[in-house]
Amino acid sequence: MRVKRLAFAVSASFLLASSLTTRAHENEVPGGKLGKVSFPTSCTTAVQPAFERGVAMLHSFWYSLAEKTFADILAQDPACTVTAWGYAAILMSNPLAGAGASADGAKKAQAAIDNARRTPPKTQRERDYVEAVAAYYDDWANRGEKARQLARSRAFEALAAKYPDDDEAQIFNALYLAGTQSQADQTYAAYAKAVAILEPQFKKYPDHPGVAHYLIHSYDAPPLAQKGLVAARRYADIAPDAPHALHMPSHIFTRVGSWEESVATNRRSATVARTAADWPEAYHASDYAVYAYLQLARDEEARLVMEEAFRYTGGDSPSPAFPYAAAAMPARFAMERGDWKAAAQVKPVASKMPFTEALTYFTRAIGAARSGDVAAAEVDAGQLAEIHKRLETSKNTYWATEVEVQRLAVAGWIAHAKGNAEEGVKLMRASADLEDRNEKHIVTPGRIVPARELLGEMLLEQKQPAAALKEFETSQVREPNRFRNYAGSALAAEAMGDRKKAAEYYAKLLALSSKGDGTRPELTRAKAYVAQR
Amino acid sequence: MRAVAILLAAWALGGAPFPTHADPGETDPDLAATDPDYAAARKAIVAKQWEEAIARLRKAEVRNPDHADLQNYLGYAHRNLKQFDAAFRHYKRAIALDPRHRGAHEYIGEAYLMVGDVPNAEKHLAALRAICLLPCEELTDLEKAFASYRR
Repeated sequence: MRVKRLAFAVSASFLLASSLTTRAHENEVPGGKLGKVSFPTSCTTAVQPAFERGVAMLHSFWYSLAEKTFADILAQDPACTVTAWGYAAILMSNPLAGAGASADGAKKAQAAIDNARRTPPKTQRERDYVEAVAAYYDDWANRGEKARQLARSRAFEALAAKYPDDDEAQIFNALYLAGTQSQADQTYAAYAKAVAILEPQFKKYPDHPGVAHYLIHSYDAPPLAQKGLVAARRYADIAPDAPHALHMPSHIFTRVGSWEESVATNRRSATVARTAADWPEAYHASDYAVYAYLQLARDEEARLVMEEAFRYTGGDSPSPAFPYAAAAMPARFAMERGDWKAAAQVKPVASKMPFTEALTYFTRAIGAARSGDVAAAEVDAGQLAEIHKRLETSKNTYWATEVEVQRLAVAGWIAHAKGNAEEGVKLMRASADLEDRNEKHIVTPGRIVPARELLGEMLLEQKQPAAALKEFETSQVREPNRFRNYAGSALAAEAMGDRKKAAEYYAKLLALSSKGDGTRPELTRAKAYVAQR
Repeated sequence: MRAVAILLAAWALGGAPFPTHADPGETDPDLAATDPDYAAARKAIVAKQWEEAIARLRKAEVRNPDHADLQNYLGYAHRNLKQFDAAFRHYKRAIALDPRHRGAHEYIGEAYLMVGDVPNAEKHLAALRAICLLPCEELTDLEKAFASYRR
């Protein structure tokens, strides 16, 4: 018995230690409005409201605060060991992002689970929640993340089946099902299963943070995105104090090209995230805001958001959100404005995640090739080839494919720059086709520029406007309402002599950029064309 | 076979040629780090102990039925035992699991050449040409195998 108590004391102090590390944020982050969650437990009534607030934080992926909340509850009510479930669940990180728990997080989660096994929660349901999350951590060091994700999904599916009247079990089951969605599966089978669970729950609980949040994730694909607009427009109001809840709707806004909404929600998200010292979330929201501003041709505001983001350090994190956004923002700023010389000069930043470095080399190579410096483009293409090899060797299949898309595009523009027009189009088309078969990762609002749009631009440069317009219009299906697409479409239609279509696209371009800086050359041309008519 | 040889040589020297699990995201697990039978099979392949490799790979296959590299190795071991039907079956499974598996396309192409089935070998040469728009050693190796075959 003494051993048991000692072990518990160690576990509790372990949890408390982690609580102390986040205590600095306590006054800055009151928790605030997080939506409505009901999660009955056998814990004391004194901690029950905090427990439900912790579950609400879990539903909005508010990692630091949820971790602290569950640790504090256990300190206050040591018999409330169902906290191990919430604590271990938040340490799994974003179940949709694929990164999973860090090694340190896995250790902390296992310690909490072990403590709950030694001092079991009072009800079978609570014990089952702990065991369901334990399925993810079981033999953690010897399994890959995909295997852990599958084990987690199966365990929560079983939990949901055992407790059909427990709506939280159904909702978490939907989340972890969605977490098994492969980015190579364009039938979106796992998302469809999650939606089938979540839509009835959304009718039942319109103010539940998890239901709205997970619906957004489950509709985060080009053909599904329109269906996610209701949840997207609700979620930020359900949990306006959670940084992720403010950002998350923009996944849908980006898919449907609703840039003003994306800017508004991401700017709020970045501010709240910075207040909470949640650097990865702040960078992530800033990247989405930069992307949206650039579509609106509000370049100065994009630059200011980027500069504001870079004032804060990202620190170390298992999440790719920080290094990805840090590499993507300057790349987007150059590429979306067609500033090829600036693109060629974007500075590479070393990262533990080579696919984020690849963004920079891709940008540099395209910039160099399109500003006539083929030799520099070839040097950066070599860097991309080396990164691709590293990703393949480490079996990082998804990002290896993404970098292959970039390599093909770069090779295409190098061939084009050397005068090998046909070879250029062949390579660029292969890039676009491969990209269309691989869904974008949730870490990004979109690729730096869509490959099919680059193909359209190449065809336009090769005086093939009809073929170019076809590619631009195909690209609009997956990447709607983009500035460069409308600009390219208008030029292609104009070159074809299709005045009606050209006027339509120029009008769309001007409407899109009505609040823009007005500094882009495409806008001068658009205004002249419209005035001429 | 150069790619397989380099990889296996690196393993024979005591580890993967590059760090595994270095990247979060969609990293596939390195099976050799987690499955002792798979790791033993790869050592057996380096030692050209084909039957031992097959026995170990079969055990690992029960736990990992959808692993393209494992299927590719099974194909390779069977091919070295001249068990071509089994080799083709496993190579085809590897390609079904990963249609862009360059190694499996190369090795099945070489296997078809070994049994004199040029039309089928050419299908995989064409597949590699479509995949390897950027230079890749699997395509080069299969082209060399064709050149040797035609000599």
